[in-house]
This record gives sequence, C-alpha cells and structure tokens, in this order.
Amino acid sequence: MGAYIVKRLISAIPVLFGITVIVFLIMAMIPGDPATAILGSYATPENVEKLNRDLGLDKPMVQRYFIWLGNMLTGDFGRSFSLNRPVLDEILERFSATLILAGVSFVLCSLLGILAGVVSAARQYGFADKAITFTVLIGISVPSFFLGMMMILLFAVKLRWLPVSGMYAIYGGGDLPDLIYHLIMPALALAAVATGVVARLSRSAMLEVLRQDYIRTARAKGVPEGRVIYGHALRAAMVSIIPVLGIQAGFVLSGAVYIEMVFQWPGIGRMLVDAILKRDILLVQGGVVFVAGCYVLFNIAVDVAQGLLDPRIKT
Amino acid sequence: MTAFLKLLFRNRLAAMGAVVIASILVLAILTPLLPLPEPNVTNTADRFQRPFTEGHLLGTDHLGRDLLSRLLWGTRLSLAVGIAAAFVAATIGSAIGIIAGYYGGRTDNLIMRGVDMLMAFPYILLALAIVAALGPGLLNALIAVAAVNIPFFARNIRGITVSLAGREFVDAARLAGKGHASIILTEVLPNVLPVIVIAMSTTVGWMILETAGLSFLGLGSQPPQADLGSMLGEARAALITAPHTSVVPGIMIFLIVMSVNLLGDGVRDALDPRLKSGALSRPRAITQVDRTSPAPATPQKGVLDLQELETQFHVGPRVYRAVGGVSLHVEPGECLGVIGESGSGKSVTALSVMGLVASPPGVITGGAVKFGGEDLLGASYESLRRKRGDKVAYIFQDPLATLHPLYKVGDQMIEAIQSHHKVSKSKARARALELFEAVRIPNPTSRLDNYPHEMSGGMRQRVGIAMAMVNDPEVIIADEPTTALDVTVQAQILALLDDLRRERGLAIVFITHDFGVVAQLCDRIAVMYAGRIVEEGPTAAVLDAPAHPYTARLIACVPELGGGRRRLEAIPGLPPVVDNLPEGCAFAPRCAKATPDCQRGEIALEGAGARAVRCIHPEEAVA
Amino acid sequence: MSLFRLTRRTVMAAATSFLALGAATLPASAQTPPGVLIVGQIAEPKSLDPAAVTAVNDFRILVNLYEGLVRYKPGTLEVEPQLATGWEISEDGTEYTFTLREGVTFHDGTPFNAEAVKFNFDRMLDESHPFHDTGPFPLAFFFSSVEKTEVVDDMTVKFTLSAPYAPFLSNLAYPTGLMVSPAAVEAGGADFGRSPVGTGPFTFAEWRSNEAVVIEKNADYWGEPAGTEAVVFRPITDANTRVAEMLAGGIDMMVEVPPTALGQFQGESFNVVEQAGPHVWFLILNAKEGPFADKAVRQAANYAINKEAIVNDVLEGTAEVAAGPTPPAFAWAYNEDLDPYPYDPEKAKDLLAQAGAEGAELTFFVTEGGSGMLDPIPMGTAIQADLNAVGFDVSIETYEWNTFLGEVNPGLEGKADMAEMAWMTNDPDTLPYLALRTDAWPDKGGFNSGYYSNPEVDALLEEARTATDQETRAELYKQMQEIVQEDAPWVFVANWKQNAVTSDRVEGFELEPSFLLQLSSVVKN
Repeated sequence: MGAYIVKRLISAIPVLFGITVIVFLIMAMIPGDPATAILGSYATPENVEKLNRDLGLDKPMVQRYFIWLGNMLTGDFGRSFSLNRPVLDEILERFSATLILAGVSFVLCSLLGILAGVVSAARQYGFADKAITFTVLIGISVPSFFLGMMMILLFAVKLRWLPVSGMYAIYGGGDLPDLIYHLIMPALALAAVATGVVARLSRSAMLEVLRQDYIRTARAKGVPEGRVIYGHALRAAMVSIIPVLGIQAGFVLSGAVYIEMVFQWPGIGRMLVDAILKRDILLVQGGVVFVAGCYVLFNIAVDVAQGLLDPRIKT
Repeated sequence: MTAFLKLLFRNRLAAMGAVVIASILVLAILTPLLPLPEPNVTNTADRFQRPFTEGHLLGTDHLGRDLLSRLLWGTRLSLAVGIAAAFVAATIGSAIGIIAGYYGGRTDNLIMRGVDMLMAFPYILLALAIVAALGPGLLNALIAVAAVNIPFFARNIRGITVSLAGREFVDAARLAGKGHASIILTEVLPNVLPVIVIAMSTTVGWMILETAGLSFLGLGSQPPQADLGSMLGEARAALITAPHTSVVPGIMIFLIVMSVNLLGDGVRDALDPRLKSGALSRPRAITQVDRTSPAPATPQKGVLDLQELETQFHVGPRVYRAVGGVSLHVEPGECLGVIGESGSGKSVTALSVMGLVASPPGVITGGAVKFGGEDLLGASYESLRRKRGDKVAYIFQDPLATLHPLYKVGDQMIEAIQSHHKVSKSKARARALELFEAVRIPNPTSRLDNYPHEMSGGMRQRVGIAMAMVNDPEVIIADEPTTALDVTVQAQILALLDDLRRERGLAIVFITHDFGVVAQLCDRIAVMYAGRIVEEGPTAAVLDAPAHPYTARLIACVPELGGGRRRLEAIPGLPPVVDNLPEGCAFAPRCAKATPDCQRGEIALEGAGARAVRCIHPEEAVA
Repeated sequence: MSLFRLTRRTVMAAATSFLALGAATLPASAQTPPGVLIVGQIAEPKSLDPAAVTAVNDFRILVNLYEGLVRYKPGTLEVEPQLATGWEISEDGTEYTFTLREGVTFHDGTPFNAEAVKFNFDRMLDESHPFHDTGPFPLAFFFSSVEKTEVVDDMTVKFTLSAPYAPFLSNLAYPTGLMVSPAAVEAGGADFGRSPVGTGPFTFAEWRSNEAVVIEKNADYWGEPAGTEAVVFRPITDANTRVAEMLAGGIDMMVEVPPTALGQFQGESFNVVEQAGPHVWFLILNAKEGPFADKAVRQAANYAINKEAIVNDVLEGTAEVAAGPTPPAFAWAYNEDLDPYPYDPEKAKDLLAQAGAEGAELTFFVTEGGSGMLDPIPMGTAIQADLNAVGFDVSIETYEWNTFLGEVNPGLEGKADMAEMAWMTNDPDTLPYLALRTDAWPDKGGFNSGYYSNPEVDALLEEARTATDQETRAELYKQMQEIVQEDAPWVFVANWKQNAVTSDRVEGFELEPSFLLQLSSVVKN
C-alpha cells in the first residue's frame, strides 16, 4: 500500500506540472492586463506600461513562467497585487474557509446522498422511494445560486432564523456554534446538487448489488435485513459509489464559487473569480495550482480508500 | 422500437418527463409562429408588471419587455445551446476517449494525463477563463461549457472502449486486415454509440444549468437576446423587489432540467436489457406469498414437506409458472435428489422453501411448505429469518458469486453464527475453525482470513458447505453445489456431504441435473420437468427402470463409466417456456411415444409405494 | 428493515420536529450592537494604503483612518484646510507653501510634521526613494506636476510644480493625498496596506480577509471625536445579498443600493440618503470613422435616446439627465444655461435622413459593470432599443470591465462606433482634459477614445488648467461645455446621484458629493 501511494504521488507530478502550464497559458491568453485593472479609468498606455514594468510583467513569457515556477518550488508563490499581500497567505486563509464549507457539504452530500439512495433502493417503488426521488430531482434541477438566493429570502429575510451571509458573526461570534449557524444555508445549498447525484447513483448501485447472489446468501444465512442492506449490500455498493464521490468532490469545490458569492463566504472560489476579473495573474496561478493539487491528492486518497475497501483491487 | 417506447412509458416518471420536455420543445419550435409581442421591445414605463396583467400573461421584466415572449424565445435559445454543447462535448470527448481506449499504451497514457489535468482544474474557473479569453457571447459560453465537459465524456467512453478493444470481434477485424480508422468506425463506434447517446441525454440538463451559471457570473448571451440563463442573471438585481422576473426563467430551467433527467433515466433503464426481465427490481427480504387457494391442510410428512407448491414469475403481463404444484418431502438423515434440466423449476422450488425467490418478480401462489409443524409460507419475516441458516441451510452453486467478495470468509462464517446465537466473536471463530476442519480445508486457521477471490473453486465450495453446517441445521438444501467443479473435487465434496449427513443425521435436498451425482449420494429422487414432478422413487429403482420417457431419455444422456460405447442421445427440442405451457403432458412435443391423449387434460402423478410417475404411456409400469 | 422504515408519518414527524427544533434553538436574528456601525461595502478593499488604491470602495474606508493636508468641505467639492491650517500660492502658480497643524500625531504616536509630508510625496514620486518599492502607486500621476517637496521648517512644507496646475489643491484633497505614517511604512514595508496608520478620527483595529475591516474610535484625535466606538466595513459583493443583509438587520448601512431594490427601503425603519456627485455617464461616439463622423448623426443619437426613461425607469430615479460633459455637482464650473438634448425621435429621424445614415449599422461596446457604470447592461439595452427605433441597427458586444477598458481605452477605431463610459472626478478639469482634447487621443496617451477634436476646446482647456483664478476657470469651462454639447462627441446620458440606506438606528449621516464616506459624525444607537 505504501509503495502504491508513493507511486501515485509520483505520477501526480507531471499532472501538476501540466496544470501550471495550462493556467499560465490561459492567463497569458486573457485580454486585459493587471495594470489596466489597477488603473481603471486612468489606464493610459503610458501609465500601463510603467505599472507593468513595476510589476515585472515586461519580461518575455517563457522567462516569466520559469521564474514563477522556480519561485513556487521554493515555496514562494509571489505577491498578489490586487490584495497587496503574499499569494500563499491569502490562499491558505481562503482555502481553509472553502475547506470548511466544501468539506461539510461534501460530508453532507455523501451521507445524505448515500442514505437517500439506500433507503430509496431498499424501498423501491414505495412512498419513501418516490419522495426521495422527487426531492433529489428538485435538488439537481435548480441552479445552486438560485436555490441559495431563495433560501436567503425565506430563512434570513422573511423568517429571520438564519444569518444572511458571512462566516462568523461580526461581533460576539467566532466560536463553533456561530460557525455552524452561518454554515447551515450555504452548506445545504451547495450540497443539494451533489446529494442528488450521489443519491441517484447510490440507488442504482444498491439495486444492482441487491440482486447479486451473495445478498441471497446473506439472507439464506438468516442475516437480519437491516444488516443485509446496510452491511452487505451497502459495502458492496460503496465500491461503485466511492469513485463518484471523488468526482463529486470536484463539483462541490467548483460549485462553491457560486455559493461563496451568494453567501459572501470568504472562500477561495470567489477569490479566484475576483482574481481572474482583476487579472491578478499570480493569485490566479497560485490558487489554481493549489486547488488542483489538493484535488489530485484527494483523488489519490479516494483510490486508496477504494483499495482498502475492495481487496480484489491490486494496489 | 415500439417495445422500447412501451417500456419507457411504463415508467410513469419518465413518461411525465417525456411529455413535459416534448411540450416545451413544441412550444420552442412554434415560438416564431405564436402571436407574441416582440421579445426585445422595451417599454421602461411598464417595467416589472406582475404576471397576469393585461397584455402580459407573465408580466414584464426590468425594461418592460414581455416575459412570456422572452421566456419562449429564451427557452428556444437555451435548448439549442444546451443540446449543441452536449453534442459538441460528446463528439470531441468521445473521439478522444475512443482513440485513447483503442490505441492504449502510451497514447492512452498521454491523453488520459491531459484529461486528468483538465479534471483537476476547477471547472468553473476553466469556463470562466475560456470566456474571458474568447470574449463574451453565447457561442463562447457554449464553447466553454462544452470544453469543460469533454473530460467527462473522454473518461467514460475510454473505459468502454478499452473493454471493447480486447474483444474477439475487434481482434477478428484486425486479423481481417481492416485499418484502424475503419475498425474504429465500423466496429467500435456502433458499440459505444448507445452509451454516448445516453450520456448526452443526461448531460443536456446539466449543460443548461452550467450556461445559466455562467450568465450568473455575467458571461452569457449578448443583450438584447434572451436565453434562460441571462434572463435569470438580469433578473437577479430585482430578486427581492420583483421575484417573478427570476422565478419565471428559474421554473423553466427547473422544468427542462428535471424532465430531461427523468427522460434520460427512463431511456437508460429502458435500454437496459435487465429491466425487461424485472431484474432491475430489488428483491425483497422474503418472497411475496399470494395464495389463490387456501393452504393444503395435509399433515406434515418427514422433516420438511412441500405440498402442492406453486411459484410464478410475474413480468409485466406475462406469468411464468416456474413451479406448478410440487409436493416433496424429506426424512431426517435422508438425501433426496431433485433432478431436471435447467429451467425445469428445481432451483425455484428449492428457493421457495425459505422465501428466497427474488420478488419481484417471483410470487408464491399456492401450496404450503411445512417445517416443524408450521407452514413457512404463512410465517412472518422474523420467524422465517430465525430458521434460515439455523434450521434450514442452503449451499449454492458458484461460491465466487454467492460469497460476499468484500468480507473475509471467516467473518462470513462468524456472521452466520452470530445471526442466530449470542456468542462471542472468538467463540464463533472457534466454531468456524472447527467447521473448516470438518470440511477438510487445509491450513484452516489462515484460510479464515482469506477473501473468497483468494481461494480455489473447491475451497470456496467447502466454505459454502461449512457455512451451511455451522449452525447444525436439520435440513440442507444444496443447489447444484458441485456443478462448477472438476470431477475429483466433486467426488471429494460429495463424499464429504455424505459423511456429514451420516454423522449428523441431517436431511439433504440435493438439486442437480447430473444422474451420476444422484446415484452417488441420494436415497430417493424426484425428476422435474417444466415445473412439475414427472417421476419419483428410490434412486436405484428409478435409475434401473425409469418409468417416464423423459427420465429415460435423461438417463440415456449420461455417459457411464465403463459402460462401453453406449449411444449418447440428446433429447430433441427444448424444454417449454413456462409462460405458455401446453395442456396435458409438457414433455409430449418432444416425446417419441406421445399420442394425442397425452395433450388432453391433466395427467396425475400416480404410483404405488415409493414410486410414482406422471405419464399415460410409461416405460415401466410402476403400479 | 426496521432500521429505516420511512413512512409518510415519520417523514412528517421528522420535518415538524426539525422545524420546531430550528425555531427553538437558533438565536433570533443578529442585532448589531449599539455604538458599532456596520457598513455593507461593495467589495473587499485592495489595500488600506491610500497611495496604492484607486477604487472608491477603498476610499470609503481610508478617509476615516487618514487625513490629507486639505479636504473637501462637507457637502461641497470646495477645498478647505485639514492637516494644513493654511497655504500660499506663488504669483506664477508653481509654488504652494502649506502651514501644518500643530499637535497632530499619527496613531502610532509619531508626530505629523513637514518631514512626514515630504516622505509621503517622495515615496510616491521619487523612484529612488527607499520606500518607493512599497508601491506601485497607480494614481501618483495626480501629482506628476510636483517637481519637488521641501521641508521649510518643522511645520511648513513647500511644493514646487513644473508648471501652473489649477487642480493641484483639489487633487490634494483626493484620497491619494492622504497622509500615512512614515514610521509605519518603514516598519511594515509592502504590508503597510494591511496595517494602516494615519491621523484620522478612527484607528485601524483588524482586517479579516473577506469578512470585515474594523476601525475603532481614536481617543487621542485632535479634532471632534468620532460618534461611534467602532465601524465595521463588511465586503458584500453580491448586491442581492447586500440588500438581504440590510433587510435582515445584519448591517446598519449600505452604499450603492441597486435601483430596483430601493422600493424595499420605503418603510419607517430605513432612511434612504441621496447625494448628487461629480459623475457623468456617457456614450463615447467614434467621430473618426463610420456614421458618427458626421456631427448630425451624433446629434441624432442624442435626440433619439430617451434619457428620462433611463434615469427614472431603469435607474429608478437614482440619476438625473446629463446636459453636457461637466456634472452639475461642480457648481462653480457648471453652465446652468445648458439644457439636455430633448427626447425627440422625429428630429433624430430627420437628422439621419439628412445625413443619409438611415439603417446605419453600429457596434456598441457595453460593459457588465464597473466603477460608476451604474446598470450598464439594462441601460445599454434600453439605448439600443431607442436607437433601433429611429432607424439605426445596433448590435451590442458586452465585456467584463477590465477587458472592456482594454478595448475602449486604446480607441474605438476599427472596432466599434460607440461605447459606454462613466467618470467620477474631483475637479472639472480632469475629464475634459483627459478625454476631449485632441492631444488626449489614445495614441498620445489620453482617453479620447472617440477621436473628438476641436481646436477651440483644446485652447479653452489648456487655459483653464493654468489659470489659478476660479472665476476665470469657471468662465472657460462654461464656454467649453457649450461647444462640446453642440459638437456632441458623446451622448450625454446621466449624472448619478449616489445613494445609501441606513437603518433607523443610525443618525447624523450625510453622503458627500465627493463620493467619500465620512463617518466620524455618525451616531449609532
């Protein structure tokens, strides 16, 4: 297993390297430059040129790429000009916020989705199945930002149960209950789509598994039905659910962009969108590489989990 | 095609989806012909009219444009964009996937690494960056949405292509000297096309959502053109003041995406051959019992007594009579062989005993199963469960499929014990070990920690037997336990079962299609054909002098060791399909001795003493 | 199957108990504490270093932390003393000598004196200054005419300009002229912008990235102490969320209320504040090529667009119709005699017919949003509809703001016939000087993206810039406005009245014509 992990980590290096090239090229392709973004209405060619020189953007592209890459390898992600602080500081701060939001949503969507899928499969064509199928369909058919805005209108503005936005109360907050209180709506809105996807997949995976011979064996042994479903069947179904969870993690992370905007969550998704709009090249590049790196690591973790669950997979 | 549609519309949700999306499509196509106000004419004084105001059925937007008109024109555009994006992504993604999967090796590796990179890139940022680079506009949004979905198709299609590329027909085409391009186009593509179409149909909805998302971020169609996403985007500013301007396009997106999803699911299911057989249904914990007539009141014979058992499969309008009134019993310490061709209903009979027939589609429609003085068919789930594996245990064919692949065999043994007895895990493990020794598994202690896939077929079968024995049941029902094994292993296992039966005095119902096996093990046999018993009697008597022509033909099929050059005769024709049984003797169409009488009316199972036969022209008189 | 027997009844029971639980355990809606003013901002500030920022959003925080030598007199755009108590201008208009206020210290305890002033300007303007690398300083060119800054004595400082430059004082009052603590810059280096030190009525307390910037009352302030204990600036980029926060009581004040949301704040519990400012929203017309090379066609466009409908309906009355290039907020320089082009589609059609430009195809650059751009897409769409109604054929191309600037600033030639634009300035000189002169064509480093050229206007603007007498300048600007309106190089559309909403717990709040947000006299109950 250890050797397998090392092998996977090594094979991730070219992927990450490729990502640095892609993100660098994309940023180079986007019209408009940081100087224009900073100067706004005052961006005369003269001012722009001077500012670009100050920002070190007058060097040839290839040279800029290798300077960036070299610095990054030494842990120096550079300085964001739109935020006027080191890129890595900002990334770490913002990523932890996203990690809380996306992490909770991911756990929610995994638990709720699998549970819904299992219940739905176990009671196929029953009331619970229909109710779940319908709820899940709503979840995956509504744009998450729309859902988020509707939730704000209902729960924050009309009922005043939950705070509109932000991560902590401005005053007197900062503790865990406060965080949870602020997390409820964005986490649910973000989890909605992924829950739907996971639930649908879990349902069909469970249906597939439930008609396998080893389920009949378990029943023939007299294993209680609860254990048949939540033990035997679910465990086998997890083999096909886990890879999808890995993919969903990516969607949750991306979907966080909308939710972070609607709920004003200080996360990295919104940071990256802002950074693209402001042409904050180093911030975009650093952020994307960071997020992609985490995603790659997460996927390796998923594969390892898969290997641990299924002894038939050679790791 | 009509069968497909029938299947599709049997799924009511899918039918609803189809109707909704069809009406939306019709509306979208007819939009230019409808008497609608111009979608782009502004009249700012009339802005934010509520729905149902005169002249504006759905009200007006922030510039006083008619919402209904914009909604329909917008739907038209959004559908076109969604479908086009799905099509573009599917075409390019599938092409990449097929090439990677077909060529394999380094090409595959290189391409898939690239796909990995794109997938690791947060997709919204990729889309955003693409739009920022290309400039705004619906066409560019389409390109962006398509581009970020290419990896999805590439991955899926590659997986399928890889499995196809190794298949015989591809090899054959290669040997026939076909070029790569031609193989891809004529052999591979037709096989992956259905998958591509299904994936595409399920992504259209997703694409529409994505385009709406880009509009939310301000990168969509160019004003004044309406698409659903930009309508939602433009209405956002007035979400609180004039919610209807966002709700109207919001609901339309919802309807489209939902109906596309429902329809897509329906199509996927309908194309799945398993749906037809009802196999996509989840089997319940216990077979459905729906007796049309009261259970027979006949007193129980032996330790397990099946009386007039009828089991059917209800698939759509068809009824398959798998078991048509079977009566069997087995005495303690006795081994009863149930023999017949595949499809004769012998396995279903066996599974019916403990309610293990997959249901749906299986239904037990009549008879009784008596055990310990109780009718198991009327028993509650819990009472039945307590007997399963404890009083009546099963040994199944093909233990690779019947043992759980993800649990260690020892744990599966322990579970069988702990489901019935409150014993500690270590005690249960000791008992499992004992059984492993009893069934002569070498190195039993270390074998307990093996997974099924780490064992040989013979070992797995021994595990299956050990698991059935673990609670000292009164009856073991063995359903072709040796079919997949080679002859030496088979002989060992039969000997083992025989020993166990004699040592522990348990009753065995042994289901097989093999007379050789029966001869070795069974005291008594019952021959089944088309769901009914056609002959029964002591093993030696039946083997020596089969009374039913079917039995005789069946025995004639068995090569006998040292029997010299006996003619092996196949039985002409096939067993009947049990949803349309002929009247009278079901074997008559294949029987050389059949007369018109054979197919006229019910033929009873008649006989004297232990022997009985269901034939009016028996080979041997059994009376 | 006993584990999850989900039936109608259990579903209902679960739902009810969840809702009951929710209602019972969650705290009631967050009430903001008294004495603490929470302001909904439109974005996260880039930096709190006044020399490094360009956005009005950031200025709103800065003016409460820092002070300049001079400031805009409350309610006007006239310059009055702040950290300087007075100044003298030399006869030729090239030397400005300021006397500084005694006894002012920065929040870090270091004294405010002539050395500090010199440090501030040298940091921005002198490339060899040891702290020039704490930049870049994008708006340093506001002071590009400053040749040198000299310390005359501890409390006197003298600026020498390369040429007379009338807007100099006004630029000093602009946030770029706010004074930072030299000691703090030396200590913080490039990170100074995240731990700012000034002399203002509030001191910096905390900046939580994307959550809040907190400033607290400066107990040692030299002037009138602040009315609140603290002010929290919350960046809420999404306008809907900002409105929702305001409605839910999560913030006490929000600026830049979306016009469509104003209706929500009509009740007793909110106050809507309005203030016209030096803002003009216009369409740049490409006078070099295409149909708009003809003055009659440009005028036709001015007649064709229903500006009343735009300001009253699209912008819900948050703007007024613009008459010319100079906004009325520059009261002294504004030509009162100028009437806006009336909405007269018939006249527009006639003009078009005369020019033979019926059915002219026009490309129209529209932005998705940007500083001072109000609601550019709906406005652009309405304008498109109006122009099409008189016989143009307009197609819109939208660009996100920074791309938009990248397209528009280098000139419209070969790309477009018209483009949206808006400016907020602090002096009547700025906009026409940068965007209407022949010498301000894009290839000469200006913003005259429509290539308007009129030697008379050029001459008037040069003269006004070097005249130090305000009345003379006013006269020159008024003449300029008349000519420009007649020439119609732009379609003059709107002058924005900035707005803000406060809850009824906020007192003493006024918006400034300078678009700055002075909060020291505000009280929060």
